[in-house]
Amino acid sequence: MEKYFVTIGIEIHCELKTKTKMFSSAPTSFGEVANTCVNEVDLGHPGTLPCVNKHAIELAIKACTGMHCTIDPLVRFDRKNYYYSDLPKGFQITQQFFPIGKDGYVEIEVDGEKKKIGIERIHMEEDTAKQFHKETGTYIDFNRAGTPLIEIVSRPDMHSAKEAAAYVETLRKNLFYLNVSDVKMEEGSMRCDVNISLSPDQNTLGTKVEIKNLNSIANVQKAVQAEIERQSALLDAGEKVEQATRRYDEAQKTTILMRKKEGNVDYKYFPEPNIFPILLDEEWIRNIQDHLEELPDARIERFISQYGLNDYDASVLVADRSMADYFEEVVKSTKETKKAANWVIGDMSAWLNKNNQSFEDLEVDADAIASLINLISNGEISGKQGKAVFEEVMLGKDPKKVIEEKGMKQVSDDGAILALVSSVLDANPQSIEDYKNGKDRAIGFLVGQVMKASKGQANPKRTNELIREELAKR
Amino acid sequence: MRISDKKSTKETLEQLKKSQSTLNAIVSVYDDPQQESENGPLAGVHVVLKDNINTKGHLTTASSRILENYVPVYDATITKKLKDAGAVIVAKSSMDELGMGGTNKNALTGAVHNPYDLNRISGGSSGGSAVVVASGIVPLAIGTDTGDSVRKPAAYNGVVGVKPTYGRISRYGIIPYASSLDHVGYFTTNVQDAALALEVLAGRDDHDMTSSFKEVGKYSQLLNGDLHGKTIALFKTVNDEIQDETIKKAFDELVEKLKDAGANIVEREMPIQYMELIAPVYRTIANAEATANHSNLDGIRFGRRVDGDSVEDVMTRSRTEGFSSYVRARFVIGSYSLFEENQDRLFRKAQKIRRLIVDAYAKMFDGVDGVLSIAAPTVAPEIDESSDVRFGPSSFAEEHMQLANFSGYPSITLPLGLENGLPFGVLLTCKPFEEQMMFDLALGIEEQTGLDGMVKEG
Repeated sequence: MEKYFVTIGIEIHCELKTKTKMFSSAPTSFGEVANTCVNEVDLGHPGTLPCVNKHAIELAIKACTGMHCTIDPLVRFDRKNYYYSDLPKGFQITQQFFPIGKDGYVEIEVDGEKKKIGIERIHMEEDTAKQFHKETGTYIDFNRAGTPLIEIVSRPDMHSAKEAAAYVETLRKNLFYLNVSDVKMEEGSMRCDVNISLSPDQNTLGTKVEIKNLNSIANVQKAVQAEIERQSALLDAGEKVEQATRRYDEAQKTTILMRKKEGNVDYKYFPEPNIFPILLDEEWIRNIQDHLEELPDARIERFISQYGLNDYDASVLVADRSMADYFEEVVKSTKETKKAANWVIGDMSAWLNKNNQSFEDLEVDADAIASLINLISNGEISGKQGKAVFEEVMLGKDPKKVIEEKGMKQVSDDGAILALVSSVLDANPQSIEDYKNGKDRAIGFLVGQVMKASKGQANPKRTNELIREELAKR
Repeated sequence: MRISDKKSTKETLEQLKKSQSTLNAIVSVYDDPQQESENGPLAGVHVVLKDNINTKGHLTTASSRILENYVPVYDATITKKLKDAGAVIVAKSSMDELGMGGTNKNALTGAVHNPYDLNRISGGSSGGSAVVVASGIVPLAIGTDTGDSVRKPAAYNGVVGVKPTYGRISRYGIIPYASSLDHVGYFTTNVQDAALALEVLAGRDDHDMTSSFKEVGKYSQLLNGDLHGKTIALFKTVNDEIQDETIKKAFDELVEKLKDAGANIVEREMPIQYMELIAPVYRTIANAEATANHSNLDGIRFGRRVDGDSVEDVMTRSRTEGFSSYVRARFVIGSYSLFEENQDRLFRKAQKIRRLIVDAYAKMFDGVDGVLSIAAPTVAPEIDESSDVRFGPSSFAEEHMQLANFSGYPSITLPLGLENGLPFGVLLTCKPFEEQMMFDLALGIEEQTGLDGMVKEG
């Protein structure tokens, strides 16, 4: 138990997956040559005007719907005024007064317990340029300037590092499933600022400290834990927590002071005069909501009910959307859904891991995997043969062709197996003797001999049965 | 000069250069003006653009030091439209710095002179464009009108000045002053040319979300000056406020002629308290929007840069040295009215009053086709006696044209007469997007004044 009552609120900035920028037709990009994905609007040249990206609004509506927010159909933008060299216009266009979504929630699970975390607001805005401070001077890359963002502001509903991490993880998964964002924290397409305060009792709030620029979910948890410990130590010692912005230092495993809060900056927000309020068509909104991608929790439920998977397998599959998508492709062509889940989670994941690939860029036809699963379950090849065929399938080969080429086809024809069984029994009178004396192990040896004689093609199950039948006759 | 009159670019350039010593209307000329389209309604027509209209590859300064070296990387939408219509852009004209002012004294290249009396102001902020048309050098010059920056200089220089409905002409590529009040406008010597020019300039532009989807009319073809059955309201509140007896008499005579020509004349008024609020409301909104609009001018990416110890220092020095003290004062006032603690009682309040004024203004148009008043209350003042630094009270007779900027209504100034050889004009305003009606009534008025095509050649 913590000695102090911890209150945590989180602000997340998330780049929207649009082709072009929030207010200009320049392409959005990541990792392109600096200052190549810009036009006069992004650079804030005189005379330029903003033009709202409809696709960005669509993605924001998806996010709002996924987070159970109320959507304001009257889209309005405001100017946030401040001077900074990464802000080309000298103001950022954002939604200060009327966010597109408000009063939503997401459900998180910590240590098996489910909990709703409130979402105060989701609003749209544009990203700033990126600055690089080097010895030779400050460099600015404007490629990021104008990239569409949503900012998701939680309510102060979290009370532990685990909850904070679970919240970020849940949001990340949801936004990814909704195709709203790449949510790559390490690349900055999802950025996380955490506010933490500690107080001796539940009814008062302590001094708020903000931790900025957390670049992974693991670091969210570590940073929050470190900050709770730091603030607890201060309070234990009877000292005051100072209102400030801090960052997490991975090497020192603690938060470091960035700047003290010195009064609030006045951003002089006022309505953007160049964008009239846009009244969204209700039909258009409903259409987006009706065609919303399935969210992770719903998908887990469906995998359990539709494919008869257990909770664990369903959760593992859904945790990686590409893996779950692949699984669903496979089961289009096989009824062996549990086996398909095993192959995808087990052998395929291991193979991809070993070859440094992911389901996202996997080119192997899901049909081929389904076909392999069917061949095994029909008894046409053995499980062991299946593993060998799998290796070839992952290199792009058709399983049936592999079987043909390797002459692997399992023999299930009683006549053919029987002939082999007879000759093996004839050649091993000692084993027959042993069997009669109650040594069941002898069966295994005999099956092995038949398999060997068939070059592995005999159906082992059938071979076993036929050997028992033949032994009974002798 | 009329749009149908043609001369060589060489002749026009020579006239422009020669006029500099007297009028000082031009910031830069095109050394080798090009006609980029052979056909089109403005084929071969020489046009001057106010220097806040972006011209790709050609200096565009907005008459401000901070942009003294700015060469745009893109054309304004109307620059393209003019080129596509066959127009030949020959020069960029002087203006009050960033559009802020009504005298054209606050220009980087110095004051612009009135061709009717070189000791008098051109008016502003589109003074240079007004003067090159008034002196008969070009038949069409583009300006911008945030308060009355086309229509007042038009009155002072005896030319036609048009400010169509907000959203009728794209603002993309126009260096702004105050976005919610800014309009593109232009000068001609007659109504027929004014109607034709709008056909070229108007139309929806996807780069400007405030531009209208409404179809552009065939204004010049449909032009009809018959006043029978037309109802014109006289703006009594404004006309009563004006003191100049010569102007008042000329206006009254015009009204009689309009009656004789078949027009139905009525009177309309606005509450005085609203009229007296025009100036403070305008200043509050315009300065607030301007301070944000010009935050991009920081010397970092373009424009004049003054070096400093840090990025912040560069921005501060570039802005301090790049703007005149007059413009900096406006930014301070604009910022002040946007501060969180002031916004409700200043900027937001001004927006609310603007709405009340516009509602009252709209009522004046009930049952009438247009509202007519005297344009400027005087002829052009002398340069030495005029100043934009007027923070004290002033008569609403000077500011009434801003009603069309508050409301976005289409509005046109026409020359009415001369007082001691100095022009004065009338202002006609119509309902939103009724530009055809505006041009029709304007033609009817022009037929009575007989001042169609008036110029003052140097």
